[in-house]
Amino acid sequence: MSDQDLVVETVRDILTGFEPFVLTAERRWDPGLWSALAEAGLTGVGLPEESGGSGGELADAVAIVRTLAAGAGAVPVAEQLLVAGPAVVAADLDLPPVDEPLTFALGPAVTAHASDDGDGPGRFTLSGTVTDVAWGGVARHLVVLAAGAAGPVLGLVDVSGIQATSASNLAGEPRGSLVLDDVPASGALLTSAQVEGLKARYALARSVQLAAALEQVLAWTVQYAGERQQFGRPLGKFQAIQMELAEMAGEVTAVTALTDAAVQSLEHGDPGFPLAAAAAKVRAGAAVEVVARLAHQVHGAIGFTQEHKLHHLTRRLWSWRDEAGSDLAWSRVLAAGLLADGPDGVWPALTRIV
Amino acid sequence: MSSSLTLAPAPRSEAAEAVRAEVREFLAAELAAGSFETHVDTWLSGVDPDFSKKLGDRGWLGMTWPKQYGGHERSAMERYAVTEELLAAGAPVAAHWIADRQSGPNLLTYGTEKQRQEILPRIAAGECFFVIGMSEPDSGSDLASIRTKATRNGDDDWVVNGAKVWTSNAHASHYGIVLVRTAPLDTSNRHAGMSQLLIDLSLPGITVNPIRILDGGHHFNEVVFEDVVVPGDMLLGEEGNGWHQVTAELAFERSGPERFLSTYPLVAEFARRVADSGDPAALATLGRLSARLLALRQMSLRIAAALDRGELPNIPAALVKDVGTTFEGDVIEEIRRVVDVTPSLDSPDALGRALAEAQLHQPGFTLRGGTNEILKGIVARGLGLR
Repeated sequence: MSDQDLVVETVRDILTGFEPFVLTAERRWDPGLWSALAEAGLTGVGLPEESGGSGGELADAVAIVRTLAAGAGAVPVAEQLLVAGPAVVAADLDLPPVDEPLTFALGPAVTAHASDDGDGPGRFTLSGTVTDVAWGGVARHLVVLAAGAAGPVLGLVDVSGIQATSASNLAGEPRGSLVLDDVPASGALLTSAQVEGLKARYALARSVQLAAALEQVLAWTVQYAGERQQFGRPLGKFQAIQMELAEMAGEVTAVTALTDAAVQSLEHGDPGFPLAAAAAKVRAGAAVEVVARLAHQVHGAIGFTQEHKLHHLTRRLWSWRDEAGSDLAWSRVLAAGLLADGPDGVWPALTRIV
Repeated sequence: MSSSLTLAPAPRSEAAEAVRAEVREFLAAELAAGSFETHVDTWLSGVDPDFSKKLGDRGWLGMTWPKQYGGHERSAMERYAVTEELLAAGAPVAAHWIADRQSGPNLLTYGTEKQRQEILPRIAAGECFFVIGMSEPDSGSDLASIRTKATRNGDDDWVVNGAKVWTSNAHASHYGIVLVRTAPLDTSNRHAGMSQLLIDLSLPGITVNPIRILDGGHHFNEVVFEDVVVPGDMLLGEEGNGWHQVTAELAFERSGPERFLSTYPLVAEFARRVADSGDPAALATLGRLSARLLALRQMSLRIAAALDRGELPNIPAALVKDVGTTFEGDVIEEIRRVVDVTPSLDSPDALGRALAEAQLHQPGFTLRGGTNEILKGIVARGLGLR
């Protein structure tokens, strides 16, 4: 068994105690699941021990995020392990305790002012409204990409005292806004390449979640088609259903292959990583349309109800594909990157990205 | 997901990147010298024996085969890089394509020592071309229903009667590997009683009749066998094992980059248009097509890596071909939606010509090498549904 297999087993064991549920304004996340993961040290995996993390590789963190996504775990682990945590460590800021949820948001309307509060450099005050904050109101700390006078600033703020609006995505996951009003923050200036890398990490985090959820939806649908009997035989014996399931499998296989390659690109520190992440996000987003549609079609009316589990993942799929940058935004980034050396450079770029 | 569909990621190959650079340099020089023009779907339509010979001279045919048979003992990943570069450039690779991809590996696995020594070095040199003799006028997807038969005569030679269709470039090829019935159909075991024969296409009794495709091009043929006497030692593999041998070829036949790059020259032309216009809708389309292409590359590379490990991943190969050939056709519609251009083979606009070539070849993409319906059935079996 590889290290990742062990991690996956551990997360699966924990998940058996926490069934997915319908997220509401009253029950916005799964604090019990978070505590169980934190107690097992899983909310610090991939973050170095000297920074307060649990150590381990990116591949371990990815395995945890995949397993939680497939299990519809309502916890901000993807944001913490794959985006916000690594960004804080890379910027040499103090990582908040890893048992406290940390999230990430783009803050195009947030400005960062360098402040001299006596604690030396790296202190800022942040002002402005951050919209679409994943797990806003749940996360204790927020890493936000803000605009500073000298360029982009990565700001780390304690948002535990700030009320988030109640907006949510199609799956009910909190995606509210936070108003920052001269909030003190630690922070660091980022280069434009670092900004691109961070946005790409966010997209990759969602792609990893999408890939895992797509695989799980396929598995559920294949299982259902094998069990559900109509006209005296299982649905899966009908060629029309087999064609649909095979089409789903093609989409899922394509997404997995490209997402894995983008993860490897990040692991290797490839310069092409932002384009690899862009491609993975676009491909995963495209697969959602096919896989969610056909999964619901095969499940029939029961899959259209809250009592059946299918919606826990299909509603997340429909949400995640437009988060961390939409298909449209990332497809343009990808194409512009491919054209950077002119049209004759497109093919060489395609063979270089992943 | 079902383990029969999932393959491990392909390792990175520096050797593949090195040979890729060599091929790119070669292609740039050939294009500059005007030795070929870029076209869509050139692994079907681009027959140029001189070009094939040049590839053979450079060691880019029979790449993975043992040196004792004229091969170069390189990895499937290196071969992948070479074939991918040739296809992306729209180079004329049709003459040798089947021999290099499929017939050679088939001979390596099932051929006699004499067959291998006589034929493989000529394929690797780019001097010997092959056709696949599977489909017949009355046998398409239901391959086990073939009627071409071979019987032994008094000299222990085979006498072949019947007809094969869609045999690409039979008029420009030297041999066919032909699936024949060597025993009558047993309805309780339809896959029994078939064998593969290695047939010299210059033998008396063979007639090659052209079948023109939609753009008027002559690539397909009907090959008719009338009392053709094939020497007894030209049986390939075991008598009665034909079905098994044919299905073993499929991982080679269905997983390569030709299953998603047939219309890449059209994408390349479209990229030129996007760079000129800067139109945001077209830019997004280029991004979406590129993301699909990148995913297909990873799927295909995983299969090349599995071939290097000695596996024959037929089910993932079926998946690549299903997803890849659908993509090849979708390219046409995606581009049409964002570019105002009229497709015509006579267009002064390179994009209009590429669109026309792609459109007139498109129906074949999802048929050749196993229809997408048959492929999805194989995938369904991999999912445990059959």
